[in-house]
Amino acid sequence: MSFEFTACLVVVFLMAGFGAPVALSMIIGAIAYLGISGQDLALAGEQIIQGIYNSFVLLAVPLFIVAANIMNAGAISDRLLQFCVAIVGHLKGGLGHVNVLSSLIFSGMSGSAVADAAGVGNVIIRMMTKEGRYNSGYAAALTAASATIGPIIPPSIPMVIFALVSDVSIGYLFIAGLVPGLFMGLVLMIVNRYLAARMNVVVEARTPLREVPMITMRAFPTLMMPVILLYGIYGGVTTPTEAAAVAAIYALLLAAIVYRSISMRELTAAFRKSAISSASVGLVISAALIFNYIVATEGLPTQIANQLSSWNLSTIGFLLMVNLIYLVLGCVLDATTVILVVVPLLIPACRELGVDTVHFGIITMVNLMIGLITPPYGILLFVINGTTGIPIAQIIRHITPFLIILVGALLVMTFFPDLILFVPRLFGYSG
Amino acid sequence: MTSLLKMLKNTADNIAAAMLAAMFVTFLLQIACRYLFDLSLSWTVEVCLSLWLWLIFWVAAFCARETDHIRFDMLYLSVNKKVRRVFSIVTALVIICVFLYSLEPTLDYLWFYKIKKSPVLRIPLHYVFSIYGVFILAIVARYLWKLWGLIHPGLNKQREEREEI
Amino acid sequence: QAAGVKLRLAASASATDARAITMEEVFAPAVADFATYEGHYGSSLFKQGTELEAISRGNLEMTIASAQELAEFFPEFSIFAAGYVHRDAAHQKAVFNADFMQPLKQKVEDELGVKLLAVSYLGKRVLNMRTPDAIMTPEALKGAKLRMPGSEAWLFLGKALGANPAPVPYAETYTALQTGAVDGQDNPLPNTVSMKFYEVTKSITLTNHLVDLNYLAVSKKVWNNLSDKDKGKLQAAADKTADAISAAIQEKESSLRTFLEGEGLKFHEPNLDAFRTRVQKAYLESDYAKNWVPGMLDKINAL
Ligand code: NA
Ligand code: NA
Repeated sequence: MSFEFTACLVVVFLMAGFGAPVALSMIIGAIAYLGISGQDLALAGEQIIQGIYNSFVLLAVPLFIVAANIMNAGAISDRLLQFCVAIVGHLKGGLGHVNVLSSLIFSGMSGSAVADAAGVGNVIIRMMTKEGRYNSGYAAALTAASATIGPIIPPSIPMVIFALVSDVSIGYLFIAGLVPGLFMGLVLMIVNRYLAARMNVVVEARTPLREVPMITMRAFPTLMMPVILLYGIYGGVTTPTEAAAVAAIYALLLAAIVYRSISMRELTAAFRKSAISSASVGLVISAALIFNYIVATEGLPTQIANQLSSWNLSTIGFLLMVNLIYLVLGCVLDATTVILVVVPLLIPACRELGVDTVHFGIITMVNLMIGLITPPYGILLFVINGTTGIPIAQIIRHITPFLIILVGALLVMTFFPDLILFVPRLFGYSG
Repeated sequence: MTSLLKMLKNTADNIAAAMLAAMFVTFLLQIACRYLFDLSLSWTVEVCLSLWLWLIFWVAAFCARETDHIRFDMLYLSVNKKVRRVFSIVTALVIICVFLYSLEPTLDYLWFYKIKKSPVLRIPLHYVFSIYGVFILAIVARYLWKLWGLIHPGLNKQREEREEI
Repeated sequence: QAAGVKLRLAASASATDARAITMEEVFAPAVADFATYEGHYGSSLFKQGTELEAISRGNLEMTIASAQELAEFFPEFSIFAAGYVHRDAAHQKAVFNADFMQPLKQKVEDELGVKLLAVSYLGKRVLNMRTPDAIMTPEALKGAKLRMPGSEAWLFLGKALGANPAPVPYAETYTALQTGAVDGQDNPLPNTVSMKFYEVTKSITLTNHLVDLNYLAVSKKVWNNLSDKDKGKLQAAADKTADAISAAIQEKESSLRTFLEGEGLKFHEPNLDAFRTRVQKAYLESDYAKNWVPGMLDKINAL
């Protein structure tokens, strides 16, 4: 690692540690890097501006934030909460399970973990923390952990990009993601069940059966939202990015016309709040893009790949080493960049060792998603902090058990390729 | 003074909300035109991306209080008030100096784009990207103001008021 | 001899693309005795469409540019992004080396500080649809939602073909084809294969409506600082690379047809005259043609 790059990282961590906004710390670190290495100082701004101006897929994020804030302001999430309490309130960790389940449903319509955390995650955190049911750090950590499932279950932009550089079928990759996604959901629910019991989360009295139809009726229009969005996407009406706008307009129609539960004043407030939180999320995500430039300039991916091949590892040793490298890189780099820059360097070794590329693709995805919640530098932690205001320290305090179980799930997937490959094989995959 | 600042901040917030609402409406228009009238609009994506760029830097420049920003404040919150003040002075100084250090090349970069136009609406890109220059200048101004308050503890009360708005 | 100049290339082509592989295997060794080549693929250094600016501002040495990207600065170049202008790889090369091309190249050097070294073939764009049917004439495309890149020039081409063009990002195109958000897309066969569009489509109609090209470009400042001998070597390396890329892509186009037929895609030969007449008429009546160098189209056709 060069002196300039080390200096850059030190500056970023010192500035952020001293309490400066994370985005500004990253811009300062990048300018320091450019200054020391004698490059054009404008490149910091260049990378941020072009990163935002060229990322159409990121546009789903502000729109899902609008949808979530309208649902919260218009008491839609309260009706949803009543329904969930009626159905699972008597179970230990019931609302936590709802959190994971909502991510599983949401992952079927979005290719982005950030959009999941900023949208439906924001609504569920509010439900979980209402009346002190769950600790807010715990709710945020579970939301971050379950949002990682988003790009594992199709549709998934990272998988499309992986297919481009690895020459595997997108169709098989998509199908292969189903079981790992459900598996991640399952292990998170198990941990949630265990932790809810240990934290002594209040279990509510079972709702009398005769009240359930009424509560369901009141929540029914809201429950239809995922159905409408899924129909929109799989019926070819909208792209996954446009679905975010459909979610927001549906929430608005529910609040304004069906429930008549939002005033003009509350609506304006919801937009103001959404504007500020989506901008702070957007600033952090785009400032992080400067690191793609720095890491590429430093030639880090090639150095790592050369180092890796010089070790002559066994198949499993190679996969474990790759997991480690991904986890570290995934903390600093955008998933797209890792796939476009690092994966092509690893694919030849994969072929030589006889690692199945679909298996390798899924491991890559799961890994990069775990990188999004690994402290100190995890984008999903920042996003939840930006949209809900829950301090990062509190989220980090609760993220560890989820992180451990997800890494455990990753290891299981690494050691047992059949777990990933059996479904694609049912559909004719010959790997 | 305080009420004037409040009014300005309120206006800035409303402009941000309007930009977001415009993005939302543009998206809906794009879906509706394609689905209902079989008409693909080409300008909608560009408008949304430009609004998104402006929203991010507008908010960072004029709306977001320091607490609205995403901050990694574990260390900062764990130390006493005196040390915090030192931390704040150091970060404010670094931000002011480094942003001013990069100002001239950055403005030169933005100005460079007078020769290129946006892909659909053909707006010269130095107008579209100019908000980044505004952001840099606004951040320098805001941290100068903050620094002034930090090194004049007598003004601390006013500073806190400023932080509230 | 120590390698003095650093030649960093930034391009949107992925590291596994024929262009990237040829740069590594042909270009890099050919310049090795006076320069160090460093390839950055998959837009890892600069975002797609901002590489020319990066060269112009002195932050980059080389890129693989498209006519569409150059047309953003110099509208004259839109002639090479128009339908049915270039016929094939040899024609592209003849046009690039023709006398009438010299003023255009000079303008790019003087105003952008970018020197266009060589032209390479990128493939013939064809229609790739979700339905198995042939698209014999532009009328058969009426109402079809055809995915196009999201800029005015591309959407114009889609309209000129008779389709209803829909701007969809490249990375979202697979899903859009899968769900039916769009009815088809147009790309050369190598892209249709590398992006796996054939998994979710059923036919290819060989409209060949745009013979796509790339320019291998270098910073003018870097060029001026080279000795005459090294200039000659760099030019020769670029020519050799461009020819190798053109050959690789043509080879791929012919072998991929067999592959795609094996995947169950139907290939159709449309009424080319109907498409050519409609598209050329649309361009000549448009504002694009107003920006073309007067008489250029005739000279291109005469080659
Ligand atoms: Na997904
Ligand atoms: Na969740």
